[in-house]
Order: sequence, then structure tokens, then C-alpha cells
Amino acid sequence: MNKAQPHLHACLECDLLVNMPDAISHRTNVHCPRCNHSIAMGHNNAKQYVLATSFTALILMVVACTFSFISFSSNEQIRTINLLQTFTELYTQEYYFVAVLVFSFILLLPTLYLTSVCLIILSTFRGFEIVPSVGLGKLMSYILPWSMAEVFLIGVLVALIKVTSMADISLEPSFWAYVIFAPLFTHIVSVIDSHRLWDWIEQAGACSHG
Amino acid sequence: MHVHMVNSIKPKTAANSGLVNCLVCHQLAPIAATHCQRCNTALSSRVKNSVQISLSLLVTAILLYIPANIYPIMSTELLGKTTQSTIIGGIVLFLEHGSYFVAAVILIASVIVPIAKMFALAWLCYCATRADGIKQYELTQLYRVTEFIGKWSMVDVFVVAILVALIQLGEIMSIKVGFAATAFAVVVIMTMVSAHQFDTRILWDRVDQE
Ligand SMILES: [Zn+2]
Ligand SMILES: [Zn+2]
Repeated sequence: MNKAQPHLHACLECDLLVNMPDAISHRTNVHCPRCNHSIAMGHNNAKQYVLATSFTALILMVVACTFSFISFSSNEQIRTINLLQTFTELYTQEYYFVAVLVFSFILLLPTLYLTSVCLIILSTFRGFEIVPSVGLGKLMSYILPWSMAEVFLIGVLVALIKVTSMADISLEPSFWAYVIFAPLFTHIVSVIDSHRLWDWIEQAGACSHG
Repeated sequence: MHVHMVNSIKPKTAANSGLVNCLVCHQLAPIAATHCQRCNTALSSRVKNSVQISLSLLVTAILLYIPANIYPIMSTELLGKTTQSTIIGGIVLFLEHGSYFVAAVILIASVIVPIAKMFALAWLCYCATRADGIKQYELTQLYRVTEFIGKWSMVDVFVVAILVALIQLGEIMSIKVGFAATAFAVVVIMTMVSAHQFDTRILWDRVDQE
């Protein structure tokens, strides 16, 4: 059961006060009656589910950073790149700003987001906080709009279509890891609604202080 | 408007019930509170100077969109010959080569989406300052679309990042990033922050006051 305490909630987009139901059934959304903003989504086993999927996604990210990403051959010359080179190459061409952006959007921020949610959930189980959960929750709300894993994936596909006409391309393990990572990340984000997340953070805080 | 007033009772919002909503953790607090009890974020009933901030960021974005289109986004060196291409130039090139799909993706992500987003934000800011009847529901929907499509404009920057990393075969074929990549990335960030700063609740305040 997903227990949401009966309490008032103000819609983020129109400020209407909404009485949150006691329980939200699995995979159904609570919408604002006035502006239709999605306020909360029910999930029967959100904590374990989010922890498991986030952990999987983190492993995929490690895989994506470890192996080679794409290799490209033309006129008997072969060049193989890994994921990190998509921004280190920009860095060596002295486009530091764009390099930092690409690094943050595709790698750093999604990883931080997943690590934060894992730490929060683990704190609710273990009864102590390694990193203060409230800080992690705030961090998550700030970085979410800037996580662009799925956008990067589309970028990769477009780039591949561009180059297939001029050279031979082979897709390496790290590419496939990212192909799974990006949609999984989007899915995890859709399951963590802020309502539930802050319930966990309160639980984590209560465990460690009480 | 009159019919509306007679048929409906005044909607209860956080603001007219003496409450303020925390934008980070979504907990309600008394309107006099300066900081959220749970996450210590500074509280304010509406985002202060929301329209002015959105508009100034929007103007910055529009101004930067000019160099983003004038300067080359990348330069290709093929057997000693260097060709520079702008965003639009790149699209034209792909059309000439018959790669309609790539041309369409770049056209949508780099031209249509940013321009549509700028128009949408300008329209939202204009409506928010207008005194008489506005369509809150439709405008809120427009805002949601604007917010959702925001990061997808980054596709072109990612495509360039991948091409630059991948195509480095020295004299035979290599790609260098151009200044427009930086300008365009800033345009996307500015429009994203501008959308984020826009407070849709001020649209609904008009209904609540009638
Ligand atoms: Zn609402
Ligand atoms: Zn708060």
C-alpha cells in the first residue's frame, strides 16, 4: 500500500489547495482538479523499485564510462572513442564551457541524482544518514531539469545517421549501456514523485534523530 | 465572466488561505514564515518579479540566438580543405545530400523549437501582465509544453560534441567545434531558466481575485 498522509497540498502550477487522498492506487495519478497538473503518482512498492532500478542504472552508467563507445573507420584508419571523449575532446579544443555543460548534462547530474535517491532510500532502511537527506532532496530538485540523458541519446542517433554515409561505424558495449541507461533514467524520474520523495526524507530524518 | 462568478464559489488557494507553498519540498507553511521548516528554502507566495526576470532572460536568449546562427557551429576539414557550417547551413547541406531525417531533426531541435519557445514565453509574459480575461488553462498547458521541450534543443550541441570526438582522423577528415555551439548552448540555458522563473500561479490569481 502506498500511504500518503491525508493532508493539504497546494498545486505548484495554480496554487489550488487539494486534499490528498489517504491512498493512491498503483500507477494512477492524482491531478489538480483545476489546472490538471499531475501532483502525485501511486506506486505499491516504490521504495524497493526505485532503489533497484536506480542501482541498475548506476551500474549501467559505470559500464558506459568504462568501455569504448563507438568506433569509426574510414580509409583504413580506425578511431575508437569512449563516452568521456564526447566532452574531453571539446575541452582540448578549448571550448571549456561547452565541455563542462556536456559533462554535467549527460553524466554528472544524472549520476548525482541517482546516487542521491539511493542514499535517501538506504537511510530509511538503515536508520542513519551518511549524507543529510534533506540536502540530497534539495539537490535532486535542483538538478532534475538539467539531466539530459535521453536528449543525448537522440543526439548520438542523429550523429550516427550523419556519419554512416561517410564511414563504417561499429557500436561498442558502452553505447548499448547508454541506450538502456537513458530510458531507464527517464522511467525512474517518472516514478519518484516529489511527494513520496519527501516522505522518505522525513522517514530518514526520523530514523537517524529519533 | 459574470456567468463564471455566479456559478462558482471562490476557489481556495494557498495564498488566500494564509498559506505559502515550498517550491522545493512542497510543504505548506503559514504565510508569515520566511523559510521552509522541512528543507529551509526561502519561502515566497509567488516568485518575486517572475515576469520581469523571465522577460530579461528571454531577451538575452533572443540576442544570443543571432550569433548562434551567424557563426559556424563546426568546421570540417576534409583532405586539407576546410568547410565551415552554420546551423542553417548544416540543414541545407543535409537536404542537398538527401538526408531528410537528419535535416528534419536538426531543423526541429535547433530552429523551430527555440523560436517557438521564445514566442511562447513572450506570449505568457504578455498575458500575465494583461488585466482582462485570459485563458488560464490553455496558457498553463502552453507553459507545460514550453517547459517540456526546453532541453530537447540541446540535441544539436550533443551532435556536435559526438562528431567532434569521433571524427578526428588528422588530415583525412577532422571536425572542429565552432563559436555558435557556445552561443547556442547559452540560448538553450537562458530559455530554460526563463521558463523556470515564470510563475504560472500569477495567471490563476486573476480568477481568484474576480
Ligand atoms: Zn493546479
Ligand atoms: Zn521545503
